[in-house]
Amino acid sequence: MYRLGVAAVWLYRLTFGALFPTTCKYHPSCSQYALDAVRSRGLVRGSALACWRLARCNPWSRGGFDPVR
Amino acid sequence: MILFSPLTPLEHAARHVLDWLHGTVGLPWAWSIVALTVIVRVLLVPLTVKQIHSMQNLQRFAPQMKEIQKKYKADKKKQNEELMKFYRENNVNPAASCLPMLAQFPVFIALYYSLRHFAHEPASQHPGSLSFLHFIPSIADHTTSHWGGFVLLFVYVTSQMASTLYMSATVDKTQRTIFMLMPIVFVFVIAHFPAGLVLYWVTTNLWTVGQGLITRRLVPKTPAPAIEKRTSRTPPRDDGDGGGNGAQRGPEPPKPTPAASSRSQPPRKVRRKKKAGRR
Repeated sequence: MYRLGVAAVWLYRLTFGALFPTTCKYHPSCSQYALDAVRSRGLVRGSALACWRLARCNPWSRGGFDPVR
Repeated sequence: MILFSPLTPLEHAARHVLDWLHGTVGLPWAWSIVALTVIVRVLLVPLTVKQIHSMQNLQRFAPQMKEIQKKYKADKKKQNEELMKFYRENNVNPAASCLPMLAQFPVFIALYYSLRHFAHEPASQHPGSLSFLHFIPSIADHTTSHWGGFVLLFVYVTSQMASTLYMSATVDKTQRTIFMLMPIVFVFVIAHFPAGLVLYWVTTNLWTVGQGLITRRLVPKTPAPAIEKRTSRTPPRDDGDGGGNGAQRGPEPPKPTPAASSRSQPPRKVRRKKKAGRR
């Protein structure tokens, strides 16, 4: 099931992510974080974690080293 | 189809805005797209300004960052992690955040679908000319269907490169080069998109460049690094390698040194300084 999430992230990376190149202020990047989250926590919880990370990846956040815990 | 059905409200919204810009404001269709782009970017201004400010703040920490890069030269992953930790500790970050970028995603998709429908629907449903500045006959056609499209593609590549230069202040040079070369690769994909979409892209890129230029002028570079450089370079007389640890010392004032005692030394030092500055 988590493969659906992995495929979605790769679809994003190959299309929109590549067309609008921006570097993420976090490490690992949001897309890598989403992959890690979906792999370790499953599709539902992983997606929720990824969404929360995306929400945190705004101009007012500090960014920095932030792996999936 | 199932995947795209949630996007139809977005498409309708984009079409409504375009219809309003065309019908009520009275702009031609192509200029409506430009205006829509400007509206989107104006809404995103607070986000981008914040990012540019943090990029400029980062200049103060350049010596410390270089040190981290040197320290973990062999291990790129570790280097990245340490840099990110450093950014977090000092509350700075050169990279863009993902959220503002994703905010453009729905607009882009909506515009793509509405332009595709433009091409299929009869002209009566979208009265008025679809041309842009007399060199693109229709913004709904594929970009490469007319020579004007190639001009637009050229402008896209240049503007994309320029916006990358201004916005992504990545530390990694190879990554930056990849980003710079990306538009050349993607031009082949974009060639199949409607010209209006490329117009959106060009406008948003030019906006990015303009915004970068203006904010750089308005917000002066912090004078701190110049002072730090002077203080870190004067000590070598005593210590040899200063290392640039960021530890600020109060060096003896260099001005009153009597130059009469050793006239041959000062010019050498000046030369060394110049070389180091160039590198």
